[in-house]
Amino acid sequence: MAGVLPVFFILAIVIALMTCAAVFTPKGPQQVVIRTAIMLTLASCYLMWMVTYLAQLHPLISPIRTVEAE
Amino acid sequence: MTSEYPSLFTSEQMSLVQLFVPTEVAHDTVAELGELGNVQFKDLNPSVNPFQRSFVGEIRRIDEMNRRVRFFSSQIEKEKDVIPIRPLYDSAPLITVGPRAAQTIDELDVTLAEHESRLIRMNESYQTLSERTKELVEARHVLRETAVFFDKAQVQHSDIRSSFDDSSAPLLQHDDRENQYSSASIQFDLEFVAGTLDRARVPTFERVLWRVLRGNLYMNHTDIAEPFVDPLTGSETRKNVFIIFAHGDALLAKIRKVAESMGATLYPIDANADKRADSLREVSVRLEDLETVLYNTGSNRRSELVKIGESLRSWQDVVRKEKMIYEALNLFNYDVRRKTLIAEGWVPTRDIPEIQLTLRRATEHSGTSIPPILHELHTTKTPPTFHRTNKFTEGYQAIMDSYGISTYQEVNPGLFAVITFPFLFAIMFGDIGHGCIIFFAALYMIMVEKKWAKSDLDEITGQFFFGRYIILLMGLFSMYTGLMYNDIFSRSLHLWHSGWDFPAEGNSTSLHAVQNGHMYPFGLDPGWHGAANGLVFTNSYKMKMSVVLGVIHMTFALCLQVPNHIRFKRPIDIYVNFIPQIVFLHSIFGYLVICILYKWSVDWSKSAVGPPSLLNMLIAMFLSPGSVDPETQLYPGQGPVQLVLLLMAAVCVPILLIGKPYFVWREMQKHEGAGYVGLSHGDQDTGLLDDEEAANGNGHSGAVVEDGEEPEHEEHDFSEVVIHQVIHTIEFCLGCISHTASYLRLWALSLAHAQLSEVLWTMTLEPVLGPTSLFGWIALAIGGFFWFSLTVGILCLMEGLSAFLHALRLHWVEANSKHFEGTGYAFVPLTFAEN
Repeated sequence: MAGVLPVFFILAIVIALMTCAAVFTPKGPQQVVIRTAIMLTLASCYLMWMVTYLAQLHPLISPIRTVEAE
Repeated sequence: MTSEYPSLFTSEQMSLVQLFVPTEVAHDTVAELGELGNVQFKDLNPSVNPFQRSFVGEIRRIDEMNRRVRFFSSQIEKEKDVIPIRPLYDSAPLITVGPRAAQTIDELDVTLAEHESRLIRMNESYQTLSERTKELVEARHVLRETAVFFDKAQVQHSDIRSSFDDSSAPLLQHDDRENQYSSASIQFDLEFVAGTLDRARVPTFERVLWRVLRGNLYMNHTDIAEPFVDPLTGSETRKNVFIIFAHGDALLAKIRKVAESMGATLYPIDANADKRADSLREVSVRLEDLETVLYNTGSNRRSELVKIGESLRSWQDVVRKEKMIYEALNLFNYDVRRKTLIAEGWVPTRDIPEIQLTLRRATEHSGTSIPPILHELHTTKTPPTFHRTNKFTEGYQAIMDSYGISTYQEVNPGLFAVITFPFLFAIMFGDIGHGCIIFFAALYMIMVEKKWAKSDLDEITGQFFFGRYIILLMGLFSMYTGLMYNDIFSRSLHLWHSGWDFPAEGNSTSLHAVQNGHMYPFGLDPGWHGAANGLVFTNSYKMKMSVVLGVIHMTFALCLQVPNHIRFKRPIDIYVNFIPQIVFLHSIFGYLVICILYKWSVDWSKSAVGPPSLLNMLIAMFLSPGSVDPETQLYPGQGPVQLVLLLMAAVCVPILLIGKPYFVWREMQKHEGAGYVGLSHGDQDTGLLDDEEAANGNGHSGAVVEDGEEPEHEEHDFSEVVIHQVIHTIEFCLGCISHTASYLRLWALSLAHAQLSEVLWTMTLEPVLGPTSLFGWIALAIGGFFWFSLTVGILCLMEGLSAFLHALRLHWVEANSKHFEGTGYAFVPLTFAEN
């Protein structure tokens, strides 16, 4: 069973990507928009993934399937 | 200080500029500036009513031309066969700037007047001819039908001849017996009245005549088959031909009077058949002539309209632009001494060089040598807010501007909405399939955007087209969240190894899955799909996710306060507003988020205590602070930690309430101590200085313009500050709780979406899957059709609009209330571009 380690690992990757976006976006009239957009996308996608991952890490209930009597 | 490139983070820096425009070059200058679309002119003659302004005459002439152009376009629209109108980008442009401009406008005026008079004359003659035609057609019908009457009567007489021995034979035959030897044609000495009457009135007519003449008449009438169409209104009337035989002048006169009162048209018909034949021929010939003339008039009119249609759009364009130019010129101030027009306006500072270039170009075109002069003014007035958007960011900025225009130089929430809005939408919409549908719909609109931008879209399509980039990102993020929820058209994907194993079906009615050591790495485990308690798990997961994302979004919005405080030079606010707010929010709800994440990360099957309920924990934190039952504790040492957090939150409230007013009071004490008096009295005098300075402004750079009427800074009225701060504190503290709960709509809508999707699947497509017979295939086709149309109609359109609205609400209320001031006014430049 995987632990919480992937959460921090992916977090590090996302922070690195965000820094790249902040630094390497080419200068131009759209620089601010592109930079903001990429950073926000990375952040929000990571957050959603992290929440989904953590929720299923140690689930308190297990799925139950009811068998319909044919 | 302008940076290298414009940024959407705050509004552009604007400058107030003053333009000195020589009168000869004024029209062309404004035309060029209008094409550029970068200057918002101020009204320098606010006290002058519209009829006293300098360019009233020109505007009146343009209005007259406008009326003519509207008349043409309405005439073209009324034509049954469509007249082609050459679109604007295809028409040759009319040169309205430069030395020949006045001549062009005069020529246009003359042309329009000519076309109008010709068109009106043709319309009138067409109408007269149509009426004449109608009368002749009626006359022809009357002649034909009466001929039928007389012929029938002749036939009847030849029959009646054989029975003249009968004593009860009517008087009519006596005469005929006499005449039958005299001439071939039958002569009646009964006079008659013939004419046409509206079909509806014929029975009334008959009855009235019967009563008036006491039955001493013989009336016959027939229908005219074709209805008469009124050329103006297009309404149809049906008429009948009638002929009334009566004896004696008095009776005939009565008949004529009654007929005229009932609205009948009487026609003179001769009793002699030859003469009748002659008049019929004459009428036919005249009718043919008239119809030829009518046809020619119609085709002339049509060719005239076609010729107008060729240039109509360019005329409309010229007239519209000229009107805007003269209305802008009316805002200028005319300096009589120097014979120049003075204009004031707001321009983005970055665009000043471009505007100067434009001014020089205008001078070159017009051929004069005196260029208009532009120089910047320093002012304390608040400039309009201008966000430079491109076609991608335009939609987002528009939806955030609908809440309120940002204050000048405030942080622009529209920049962040580019991603947060589609993302919050996607959390409520999460389905790969539906996301795909709206993504491709947006992609299609983007691919045809050049064509659609030129054409006239109806209102609803226009709205969707305006937001095509928003919809594109909405679709993209929805596909991502669909992957997270593992939902594609209510089915789930099995991309990786599931973490749950179901035992083989045995005797038991319910199968409990067992964990098998795998962890589904990306998204919701497909083992939950179809489970009876699947909703229990997903509800808990989605609700907690909503709270987590909500608190993070609100924190982000709160942090946007800091740039505002720094830019508007109120660093005190960071300490008395921002920090208490952050501490208050996080000591309660940030703590809740951390507990949620912590509880998830703990393996409760291996821990000593059972998993505590977070809701109870939060309630207990308030009801019994400091003490936590060891049986239900989340982590050791929880009690004191919660007590400290509660105290921190409690301390923040009075800081918020009193902090800012205290500092403002201290400032006021300092000012009063130094002996300064408020500026509210001396404002009236500065108004007069305005005109003098404006006139002397030529050559002086950096003139200070003060407008005395509008007070720029809010009065340092202490009570107002206190009240404002009290409201702000209460709003924030209560808002923390209510807004956090409000984010639960992210859960609610995604649940509704998933359930609707599942219901649709089970009711339309699931029963018809796996067709075995031809009937099965037909059922599959029908079920598939229903499933797809309801998917697009209900799930994509209806749910999409609903999620759009809720995501927008979250941005407007929950996020904007944390930092947005929104007291600005929009930058509305003079521009000829049509929106």
